[in-house]
Amino acid sequence: MKKTMLAAAAVLALATPAFAQESVRIATEGAYAPWNFLNDAGEPAGFEIDLGNAICETAGLTCEWILNDWDSIIPNLLAGNYDLIMAGMSITEERLATIDFTQDYFPPDPSKFVAAPGSDLDFSALSGARIGVQSGTIQAAYAEENLSADNTIVSFATADQNMADLMAGNIDTILADGSYLEQVVTASNGAIEFFGEDILVGGGVGAGLRKDDAELKAKIDDALTALKADGTVDRLIAQWFDGQGPYYAE
Amino acid sequence: MLDDIAFWVGYLTNGKHLTWYASFQFTIFAALMGGALAVVFGLTGATLKNSRFLPFRLVGSFYSAIVRGVPDVLFFLFFPLAFEQAVEWIVATQVCSPEAIAAQTAPWPPCREANWFLGTFEYLILASVSLGLVYGAFATNVIHGAMRSVPAGQLEAARAYGMSARQVLWHIHIRQMWVYALPGLSNVWMLIIKATSLLSLLQIADIVLWADRLGAPNFLPAVGLVHDDWRWRYYLVLFVFYILVTWLSERAFGAIMRRAGRGILSEAHG
Repeated sequence: MKKTMLAAAAVLALATPAFAQESVRIATEGAYAPWNFLNDAGEPAGFEIDLGNAICETAGLTCEWILNDWDSIIPNLLAGNYDLIMAGMSITEERLATIDFTQDYFPPDPSKFVAAPGSDLDFSALSGARIGVQSGTIQAAYAEENLSADNTIVSFATADQNMADLMAGNIDTILADGSYLEQVVTASNGAIEFFGEDILVGGGVGAGLRKDDAELKAKIDDALTALKADGTVDRLIAQWFDGQGPYYAE
Repeated sequence: MLDDIAFWVGYLTNGKHLTWYASFQFTIFAALMGGALAVVFGLTGATLKNSRFLPFRLVGSFYSAIVRGVPDVLFFLFFPLAFEQAVEWIVATQVCSPEAIAAQTAPWPPCREANWFLGTFEYLILASVSLGLVYGAFATNVIHGAMRSVPAGQLEAARAYGMSARQVLWHIHIRQMWVYALPGLSNVWMLIIKATSLLSLLQIADIVLWADRLGAPNFLPAVGLVHDDWRWRYYLVLFVFYILVTWLSERAFGAIMRRAGRGILSEAHG
């Protein structure tokens, strides 16, 4: 009996803190450099990690980073596994139907096509092409709606797998965020190039949270306003995105 | 040459890789705890199935028949989720005020205070229990069959010596049952080991998840070593690990068989 009581007490002691809300848990994908990735130490790093930490410091919150795959990142927010998503997520009408967003911390990011040099595809009227997208992204939705009639849309779980399949010649082109592609194209030394016109879908990038979390949203929004005013957001954008911006300077 | 070796040693011992090596503990923990629970559930199930009381017998048969038929992946996803929601529901009846329930916009949990955050440890326990439940159903069948294989004469002789029903069960029946059960249980153990590769489904950063992340291609020098899709190299390490575990398990089961067979003359023991 005594043992049972002890066991029950141990279970309670283990379980109780899990119900108390002591810190803000921020989910990120950790596979979308330079937005968010895992550094060599195995820890989350990147633009959003620096920005998120700055937000938490400004708002006086204790924050904790949680890695979650991209395709389940919204469902797990709704299930209460974490409180905030910072994963290069564009603010769109579709997403606003299920979750809420803070103000944007990166302006609307044009989507671009990349392909191997000398690609003979007609990017103004694509047909017969195998187009790679990351599933659950604004580009995936765009391609499904506008390009799927004449082309094959191939979905990948991560942006990097998508890119690896382009390099291997399994797909003809990729449609993805310009902010992600820019550095990959530069680092590829001519192995891939930009093609066609930019495509504008999605609003700016913001942090996603549950609709009933008005209190947290207000805190994050206030912190972001302050960090935009003092130039921190612009400084971090310039630091992580090869000197882009400034976007939020008065 | 020396520079190369130093580079690779450095690469394979960076924080990312050390985390991967450390994550083997989750797999090993889940296998051992899942295996132990499978034996417990198996013994319970077999005892129920052998019971003279019809409802117990039905419960035992129902358990081994139904759970064996459900794919382990499904059970792995279903059981922790159902358990989490059941706990949240019970907690909700205690802590949720009507206002909190009215303020809740998400479909679940009933109120924010009732949300149970599951970390790696909680998921690991739930994963082990799932493994135990699924493979306990197989173990039930194995143990049930093994108990029927113990010669009736042995039990009659024990009773003739004046042993109580409980003494016959534990000292003769279950003691001799192992010899017949172990070959089947070693099979169940191998299945459990294979099923530990599913841990990443429960958001546990296990060896499979890290192999995926480490092997994922990288294009930016700022992020780390630039390389193509190297996942197959990392999967190869997992492959070798699982073969090693299989080999060790077979040796361990051989030793256990010899020990369980001491003093027992039977065709199963040979």
